[in-house]
Amino acid sequence: MEDRQSIPCVELRNVVKRFPGVIAVDHVDLEIEQGKIFTLLGPSGCGKTTALRLVAGLETLDEGDILIDGKVMNDIPPHRRNCSTVFQSLALFPHMTVEGNIAYGLERRKTPKNEIRKGVGEMLELVGLAVMEKRRPSQLSGGQRQRVAVARSLVLKPRVLLLDEPLAALDRKLRKEMQVELKRIQGEVGITFLYVTHDQKEALAISDTIAVMRAGKLEQAGAPDEIYNTPRTKFIADFMGASNILSGKAIATGDGKLQLETDSGLKVIALHNEDKGSNEITGISVHPELIELLPSDAGLEEENRFRGRITEMIYQGDFIETKISLSQTGELLTAHFPSRLELVTRLSVGEEVLVHWSPKSSNILLAQNSYLREEKSLY
Amino acid sequence: MKSGKIADIIQRLGVFLVYIVLWMPIVILVIMSFSNHAIGLRWQGFTLQWYVQVFNTPKAMEALKNSLFVSSIATVISTIGGTLAAYGLYKYKFRGRGALRMSVLLPITIPYVVTAATLLIFFTQVFRIPLGYISIIIAHITFSAPLAVFIVLGRMARVDWTLEEASADLGADKLTTWRKVIVPVLLPAIMISAALIFPWSFNDFTITYFVAGVGTMTLPIYIFSLMQYSRTPVVINAISSVFVILPIIGLLLVTFLQRREAT
Repeated sequence: MEDRQSIPCVELRNVVKRFPGVIAVDHVDLEIEQGKIFTLLGPSGCGKTTALRLVAGLETLDEGDILIDGKVMNDIPPHRRNCSTVFQSLALFPHMTVEGNIAYGLERRKTPKNEIRKGVGEMLELVGLAVMEKRRPSQLSGGQRQRVAVARSLVLKPRVLLLDEPLAALDRKLRKEMQVELKRIQGEVGITFLYVTHDQKEALAISDTIAVMRAGKLEQAGAPDEIYNTPRTKFIADFMGASNILSGKAIATGDGKLQLETDSGLKVIALHNEDKGSNEITGISVHPELIELLPSDAGLEEENRFRGRITEMIYQGDFIETKISLSQTGELLTAHFPSRLELVTRLSVGEEVLVHWSPKSSNILLAQNSYLREEKSLY
Repeated sequence: MKSGKIADIIQRLGVFLVYIVLWMPIVILVIMSFSNHAIGLRWQGFTLQWYVQVFNTPKAMEALKNSLFVSSIATVISTIGGTLAAYGLYKYKFRGRGALRMSVLLPITIPYVVTAATLLIFFTQVFRIPLGYISIIIAHITFSAPLAVFIVLGRMARVDWTLEEASADLGADKLTTWRKVIVPVLLPAIMISAALIFPWSFNDFTITYFVAGVGTMTLPIYIFSLMQYSRTPVVINAISSVFVILPIIGLLLVTFLQRREAT
């Protein structure tokens, strides 16, 4: 048991997969810890689904190794890999009942009848479909079909469950419910999940670790809060919804701080630990909710305080999405001001405001290449 | 308001005329098969004698049996072969696949007489298959298998093929996946093909007539010979009525299966 914990559940070593004209997966290294939910996140076409299909054995890899529980899986067919896939379309067998679908994998393994019945019963219990066993997929709701697909795979007790955008077909409310449900199921069975999605909110809600992919490459991997708060590149900052991305160059460092001049000439301050080469810095990002509104009589002396004019206000319920054009340079910032604040309720378009963010809210962005080099040197 | 009413009447009249043209001859035929008239051209009181006569004519029964035999075998082989061909055309990528898929419809566009003559030359001059039931069955397969390909291909376009991957992922080999997943999913289309092919094959006269050879008799050929040589052609009405009833049963079956597929 000790031993098992120490080796990663799934490991990709320098994995490459080419399709005619594109490299779908481009020298990817990653390790997935036992019993965790690991998410591959990225826009469509970034190679995340291909990576999942490589782990499943539904595609053959061109270079590198894929290991499950420390064993090389490169030439092992899908059903002997000790993993099981929940497909985006779910791929439930339409002519079989819920029971028949869940029993399918066990039947192929020639499991004795009474054990199949027991296994199916346990799964129905686990996913909360105990009374639906005689129904066909067409008689179920979207969320119920989802549960059947998960149960059909989990009944085989795989080491890894591979989920390929399993919630894409559901509406927003149901999707949220199913995220919670999947997390609960994962917690109960303790099986490692490799989850693929293009929805960053879903990834943040469900994952223990997120790996962001872009154009076949792994760009950053870390805990959800790490990915959200400290995206390392412009691409990730943008993808994670940090809509304020200020490109620029570092002009001075010292005192654990870094001064950066944006392309438009704005001087902003960020916290900085010395080991990052300042010439690799390409800018900063600030999440809209970290930009604060100050009373207009507050001074401009402190760091990261700017005057600007409101150009747009969009009511979003709990916050007001406000676009502010900075007076000094014309840079456009997006801020999410809490709509319950009195200061905010009095705002209107065209008004002059004073905005501020703390230096620790400035997240330093690096060039993609430098970041990848840095990662490599860690190994 | 008024013009709308007129358009409505015209529309109804149109539908009425179409069905008159479609059904009238058949209805008359069925009625006349019960008429006591010697050549079945006028109503002269009800009788079942022609039916009795048909069922008491060994040659007619023999022809019916032959037809059922030929059509059954042709239907089974065409449907199975057509399904396999459709799968290959759908799943495997190769040069000329598009052209091959298009050409599946070719037999429908070629006049029967041309197909028939071509098959006759093929059997007598190229492959030297003796004319008889074997040649008839082969001929029937050539014109009916494409129909199965066409129908099954149509169904395949609407199948979620990750089902196949899911089956493999859950540990099924190719054969098991076929047996447990692909065939059941395609079954409605396969049954519809069979239900259409059977009457098509059963009714065929032109091609069968060409490739039948001497002494081979299917029901359509028997009827044709009655028309030419019989002294009591009125039994044709009775036989033909049987022909009407069989396709109707077939059509009802197709409709039923299509409804089931739709749900």
